[in-house]
Amino acid sequence: MTEPLPPRPEPRRQWSRRLRDRLATLLITAGGLGVVAAVLAIGVFLALEVAPLFLAAEASLGWGELWREYWQPGTLPGETPAYGMLPLAWGTLKAAFWALLFAIPLALGAAIHSALYMPPRLRSRLKPTLEMMEAMPGVVVGFVAGLVLAPWVERHLAGALALALVLPAGMLLAGMAWTRLPPGLRRRLLPGWAGLWLMPWLALLATLSLWLSPVLEGLLFNGDLRHWLAARFGLDYASRNALIVGLAMGFAVIPGIYALAEDALTGVPASLGEGAQALGATRWQSLWKVVLPAAAPGVFSAVMIGAGRAVGETMIVLMASGNTALMTLSPLEGMRSMAATIAIELPEAVPGGVHYRLLFLAALALFAFTFLVNTLAELVRARLRRRYRRLEAAT
Amino acid sequence: MSESEAMVYAVGAAHQRGTAVCGQPPGQWWRGSPRRQLTRLGVALLLAFCLAGSARAADDEVVGTLGAVGSDTLAGLMLRWGEALTERYPAVRLQLQASGSASAPTALIAGTTRLGPMSRPMSEAERDAFTARHGYPPLEIEVARDALAVIVHRHNPLESLTLAELDAIFSRTRRCGADEPIDDWSQLGLAEPTGRIVLHGRNVASGTHDVIRLHGLCGGNFRLNVNEHPGSAAVVAAVAAESAAIGFAGLNHLTPSVRVIPRRDGESGERHPPSPATVAGGDYPLARSLYLYVNRRPGEPLPGPERAFLDLVLSQEGQSIVEELGFVPLPAAARARQLGRLSDGPVG
Repeated sequence: MTEPLPPRPEPRRQWSRRLRDRLATLLITAGGLGVVAAVLAIGVFLALEVAPLFLAAEASLGWGELWREYWQPGTLPGETPAYGMLPLAWGTLKAAFWALLFAIPLALGAAIHSALYMPPRLRSRLKPTLEMMEAMPGVVVGFVAGLVLAPWVERHLAGALALALVLPAGMLLAGMAWTRLPPGLRRRLLPGWAGLWLMPWLALLATLSLWLSPVLEGLLFNGDLRHWLAARFGLDYASRNALIVGLAMGFAVIPGIYALAEDALTGVPASLGEGAQALGATRWQSLWKVVLPAAAPGVFSAVMIGAGRAVGETMIVLMASGNTALMTLSPLEGMRSMAATIAIELPEAVPGGVHYRLLFLAALALFAFTFLVNTLAELVRARLRRRYRRLEAAT
Repeated sequence: MSESEAMVYAVGAAHQRGTAVCGQPPGQWWRGSPRRQLTRLGVALLLAFCLAGSARAADDEVVGTLGAVGSDTLAGLMLRWGEALTERYPAVRLQLQASGSASAPTALIAGTTRLGPMSRPMSEAERDAFTARHGYPPLEIEVARDALAVIVHRHNPLESLTLAELDAIFSRTRRCGADEPIDDWSQLGLAEPTGRIVLHGRNVASGTHDVIRLHGLCGGNFRLNVNEHPGSAAVVAAVAAESAAIGFAGLNHLTPSVRVIPRRDGESGERHPPSPATVAGGDYPLARSLYLYVNRRPGEPLPGPERAFLDLVLSQEGQSIVEELGFVPLPAAARARQLGRLSDGPVG
């Protein structure tokens, strides 16, 4: 038998409870708005720091100067500095391009496989592993890429390029061979577990290509691939180049793209894919014609967020790219990105000087780019969520 | 009524009845379990300790924290001097931030620190900015000299380089008199390593960069494909990892995995490796003085910690630390001159 509760509190107590309720709501709303205001304030601050460059009465820099090809801000007495920002913008885009070229196929492939074909037990083991990839600090990834990976790739250039060609071809070969297996064996090697039973095959291919590549190099390239590239195509090989940066930054960007793309793909109502298969579509047809088009906006926004991350990543490019302010198309040469330039040069630029304000201009460009890309990606994802709700209501 | 409302009424009812909600009668906070009393005692002692510790020391006592912001070339040296200072005066500690020579004038002008180690002299613009802010020029004390070594991989058999050859390798302007750029190791007469020369250097932030441009490239510009590293140790690591690499780094960062290339005189063919003797004699031009800039109002004495630090730096003990770390100590005459500047005050 429970004790009877005491009578309701007096109206004064009720009013104070309502007041506390309203206060709490106000504080939480203020917190949310404060975050938005802080982000916008950063943009306004950057714009205010840059404005005197172009708007002051004695404008110290014309727009034309920024479109030059040399970035040489440090000067000995008696020299005029060169403030061409083209190499920096080029380097940023080049690094982001190679990172996305490496990351997008891997991340999207992993997302499709794990969302549609992987059994839940394996998927639950995969997600934490990918999150560990994301948790690794950029400095560590850049350090390993610059001091361990770059010298190794330089010494075994033929082997590294062979790996890049042989592994994807080997996977396609394994897929073709799988369709021709006897049904008993095919039941053992389920496609959902392909992540596991492909490992020995890929390890074998990797070992073979690394072992045979010196032989092939001797046969095809006169023993020195670097020399052959320089002689035949005029391509200089820099030890820290766009390929290394692409690998390292791709490693950092893959988990982000994977998480969002997998989110979008699992959100597609299962009835759509199953309906397509019930009507006779193969697995590939139901993926390519039904599921992917339904999830396309989410996948697109995942790629955009990955691009935003790739453009803004600083430490990896700083440590793995050699920081050479070049403008070349060659993936075998280094580059200098805007973020790395800001990190290297801002601590010692004279505050209020032209160099200082130009670095702020670079920061403003990066801020605007990532802000726009992320906002667009979020809008696209919101539309996708509404579309899924309509699809689920319809089926 | 909702669950939360029921909970609120229950607590309020208990309070009204006078029973303990948290195990303690309301309104008697000084009582409580022994553990709670010990915690309160500990907090009170901690507060008292902090208040006592923040009592100001007199201005010329050698106590407190000595701040310095500036060159990373001088970082090891400053830390060793700081340790020696703490050995002499246990109440003082050196706090160093080594982000590059160009960060020192910024910090001195802003007043963040009174000491600014720099591996190059202050430029006119920096001096003017300091004078505009504080009303007097900064005090420049030369504390050591540094030789910059040209390094190659340990398996590279290169014997020596003239200044013109160094210029032709590193620069795109070739102001030291070379006719053609040197891009390939074969142009230097070497069979091993093969291929193009891979260049490593420092970024624009460092004093090393400016010294090499001034004395090594005769004021010219580096090539665009020189890999820029944030510190001398990174240059050494990069050169040690690539057999076709060449770079320059301070003498004090060298390891056995790289070889130092002496300078060959163009006419006489004599070899001058970087060492205190060649630097002092002028035969090895890739050298520079290392400075400590001090913010000191003329006519006023330096505060205790700074004065003790500078006395230590310019003493025999301080200069033997310089030699231990691989730099070039000041000759006796120069030391005496710097000590004189300390006492007289800045002359610009």
